[in-house]
Amino acid sequence: MLNSLHIEGASWLHRMGTGWKLFALFVISLALTLIDNLPVLAGALFASLIVARSIGMKERMLWQRTKPVLLTIAFLALVNMVLLSPRDGLVILLRLPAILFFASAVTASTSLSAFIDCLTRAAMPLEKMGLLRAADLGLALGLVLRFVPEIHERYRALRDAHQARGIPVKLHRLLGPLIISTLKDADSIADAIDARGIRGQKSRH
Amino acid sequence: MRIQLENVGLSFGERVALHTLSLELSEHRIGVIGLNGSGKTSFARLIAGLARPTAGRVLLDGLDTVEQAKALEGRTGFIFQNPGNQIILPIIEDDIALGLKSRGVDGADLTQRVSAALNRFGIEDLARRRPHELSGGQLQLAALAAVTVTEPDLILFDEPTNQLDLRNRAIVKDTIANLPEQAVIVSHDLDLVAGFERVLVFHEGRLAFDGWGHEALRFYRELAGC
Repeated sequence: MLNSLHIEGASWLHRMGTGWKLFALFVISLALTLIDNLPVLAGALFASLIVARSIGMKERMLWQRTKPVLLTIAFLALVNMVLLSPRDGLVILLRLPAILFFASAVTASTSLSAFIDCLTRAAMPLEKMGLLRAADLGLALGLVLRFVPEIHERYRALRDAHQARGIPVKLHRLLGPLIISTLKDADSIADAIDARGIRGQKSRH
Repeated sequence: MRIQLENVGLSFGERVALHTLSLELSEHRIGVIGLNGSGKTSFARLIAGLARPTAGRVLLDGLDTVEQAKALEGRTGFIFQNPGNQIILPIIEDDIALGLKSRGVDGADLTQRVSAALNRFGIEDLARRRPHELSGGQLQLAALAAVTVTEPDLILFDEPTNQLDLRNRAIVKDTIANLPEQAVIVSHDLDLVAGFERVLVFHEGRLAFDGWGHEALRFYRELAGC
């Protein structure tokens, strides 16, 4: 489920500016992608675990949060070991989890509103060029994160309604009502955005 | 706030949602009741500036809600029938902050005002919670905090106790009763509006009664035949 993965805290990474964190993550990820020295990659993986621990994410929590991706990486590494060489597989097994753990640490130490603010600031040049409204980009991200659980809830309600009536649950049968009810809600959400004056002057209709 | 409707009408194509209406309201608590489809919500949306009248004009403190919309920005708040849909961000305190940020408030002032809004409705413990985890009453209070944080003069409620259980209904009712802001409340909950200074009864898009709460309720019960 797409929920906030933020962990409350006051660690060094929590205090670091969101923009700097994302920039550092970009640089580290790029560097690790270019490096295939096994001891260096092992060191990076170790460092990523230390960083995660420093913000209060113990190995168990890290595993729970990243399990599906880690299993995919393990599968990918196995395929590389078999088809290419054991060394290639090992490189993947060290490199990708290191990047994943650094990214998880950034996600866990940054609130959604900080992400949204950072995205809005980053989009300011595009606003100056007249291409979009920077605040809309942040708002769009917020709306996606806010309403994915709602749509999931609605899907479950529709599925239950089908089951209660003894109708076999088929995705194509649920899709229509799901889309219609979501679009209907989109209207009232747009009204709420107008009523709260979030995008400036109300767009009267 | 003085609310004036001057020969206001609202139609959607051939369908008339509100027949021509002239009215002046300045009471602290104004109730709006009526059968389904009677035009209650359309009336509230016109006042909030969410609907544009197809005839006449709506004035708030002498300012036209269409022509002078900019000057009225932030002076009205609207609590929708489904408060879940008006909480826009995934974390409650972020959502409360959103209205302030869009008005340029930031830093310590932002933190202080968000915290005061949470305190005001006794929902400090909901600050980091997600909307889909909250009960109907909690959602209603969170929506109210998000609307009142920008300090509107007038708040419009569209069926605020709809779908709430007895306890949450009592909490919301009590909260509305104690709000210092002027409020227009559209409701099917007759207990909620019974004691109001002024209650409007709408029927088939027309204002059918305008008067004291208890008198309006008596009229409405006769109208509804129960």
